[in-house]
Amino acid sequence: MTMTPAIETRNLSIQFGGHVAVDCLDIQVDPFCLKSIIGPNGAGKTTLFNLISGQYQPTQGQVLFNGKDITRMSAAKRAQLGIGRSFQLTNIFSSLTVLENVRLAIQSRQQIGMVFWKDFSKYPELEEAAYDCLQQVRLQDKTLHEASVLTHGEQRKLEIAILLALDPSVLLLDEPTAGMSLEDVPAILEIIQDIKSQQNRTILLVEHKFDMIMALSDSIAVLQEGRIICDDTPEAVSGNPVVMEAYLGGGVKHE
Amino acid sequence: MIMDSGMTDKMAVNDHTLSKENVPALTSLDTFRIGIVILMGLVPFIFPSFRVMDVMAKIMIFTLVVASFDLLLGYTGILSFAHGMFFGIGAYSVALILYHTAAPAWYHIIIAILISLVVSIGLSLVISFFSLRVKAIFFAMLTLALAEFAHILGVQWTSLTGGEDGISFTLPWIFNFNHTFGTVWHTQINGRLVVYFLILFSTLFLFAGLVRFTRSPVGRVLQSIRDNEQRAVALGYQTFRYQIYSIVFGSSVASLGGILFAMWLCYVNPDSVFHTAIMVNILLMVLIGGMGTLYGSVIGAAFLIITENWLPQLLKSAAELVPQSHVIQVLADRWQLYFGILFVLVVLFFPKGVLGTIRAHYRQRVIESESIENQLK
Repeated sequence: MTMTPAIETRNLSIQFGGHVAVDCLDIQVDPFCLKSIIGPNGAGKTTLFNLISGQYQPTQGQVLFNGKDITRMSAAKRAQLGIGRSFQLTNIFSSLTVLENVRLAIQSRQQIGMVFWKDFSKYPELEEAAYDCLQQVRLQDKTLHEASVLTHGEQRKLEIAILLALDPSVLLLDEPTAGMSLEDVPAILEIIQDIKSQQNRTILLVEHKFDMIMALSDSIAVLQEGRIICDDTPEAVSGNPVVMEAYLGGGVKHE
Repeated sequence: MIMDSGMTDKMAVNDHTLSKENVPALTSLDTFRIGIVILMGLVPFIFPSFRVMDVMAKIMIFTLVVASFDLLLGYTGILSFAHGMFFGIGAYSVALILYHTAAPAWYHIIIAILISLVVSIGLSLVISFFSLRVKAIFFAMLTLALAEFAHILGVQWTSLTGGEDGISFTLPWIFNFNHTFGTVWHTQINGRLVVYFLILFSTLFLFAGLVRFTRSPVGRVLQSIRDNEQRAVALGYQTFRYQIYSIVFGSSVASLGGILFAMWLCYVNPDSVFHTAIMVNILLMVLIGGMGTLYGSVIGAAFLIITENWLPQLLKSAAELVPQSHVIQVLADRWQLYFGILFVLVVLFFPKGVLGTIRAHYRQRVIESESIENQLK
């Protein structure tokens, strides 16, 4: 396929002191596909995300977005271009209502961030759009709750809704199920499946739950010590003895 | 008062119509608010005593100042101790101009307003650019130092400010207290009454402006910055700019409040407008009313000013009931002690301030009744 990858890194490296966290990494994510990144703790998964979203500047190499070099671009600029990311730790406006959390994200896309004389309710289309996002993550019944009273799982969903509200073409999901109880996980899986089935966003996913990755991914990249040791289809990766050895220490648990 | 954004959200979302084309009918809360304003307007005619009118005027002025401080603290999360300084800048600008002018006319007040606005906006911009990016605690300390500097300036620069003695002046035009225009309902319509109504309408207008500002898209962003600045940046908001809007607007309103205060007293001295105690009072009023409620400033200002004015008297007359007991006389003299106890009680029973706590309860009830409804379905 000669499609331009939505996200591409070339020879990407970052060094913290003497520690090389990401080491000459080349990865390509095709548009509208879902690629998962797996690997043991400290393999550099979140660091790679920070490099793509612009939180970190690489010591070497390039980040390309739809073929365009964005290596020197700030995080805010990249967000405006359409690279949205969620954080491993929940990051929401906890004293505002659920609806307001998402409405603010929608507002940032409009050119009304400087309007100070008009009542915010004069823009019902923002609330409508926010409501749609909340529906996508199945939080439509909680619109008026203060975000701080939501359960952890619901807060993660709210975060995805905020992300969707920014309407990014690339979604970077950093462990969306982190710290979540087991009964909440299927809901998140379903939400990501929904987003994927709309075929209009590229998704990069960091996850530890193997079943979830197998169910969702178009391709899986395995990271170890800052390098990719395998990048293939889910079937090929799960059948690869080297990967299984490196990532799971031999025994794959298929629950 | 309780009817806040949350309620409008609820109506909007539950209806699924989301359009606000029909003009909403007056709620009981609106009626209550209008009632209070009308009552404030009637005070000079109902109570012949100047004392009542004086307390009401001060409540109105401080409502305005406290509300503008709430914009900074409660809505944007900026703790600035220079807010009292802006109040003083307003007060001194009108006092100095009227005092140093041979024959003050009405337009001198306009000049004073313009000067105080220019100084306040300029100074708040300087403060923002130099110190807003540093940590909140340093910002608080810096503004405290600046406010103290203003106080010292007021005391030391005697040739301009008259030092600790302060300056008294007379108001020009229809505001002059010696002007009388006749009597209505046994009440003399004089310059003081005109100033009273000037305070009433200015407060109303500026307070409405603050409410509108906090409910605008910009105001909503301010609240998000207060909550989680990092998140607001990640959404693409340039938070620094928004914080500047908040400081500039808040300081300007505070300085206008200072102008009204000076016009009401026709006298300023450094202690009455620049002293740290004023700043502490403003802070207390915000805490009592409820941070981030705006309307709470009415409650906070009323509580503090009414107790300050009438608690000593109340205690004194209570003590007179038992004139033989020396202990009670002494206890009655320490009105600030009881004020402290009152304050502790308010904070104990209303941890989010009076209005803040009531609103939280109300919202909780709405959510609970909603979930019951959902279960019944």
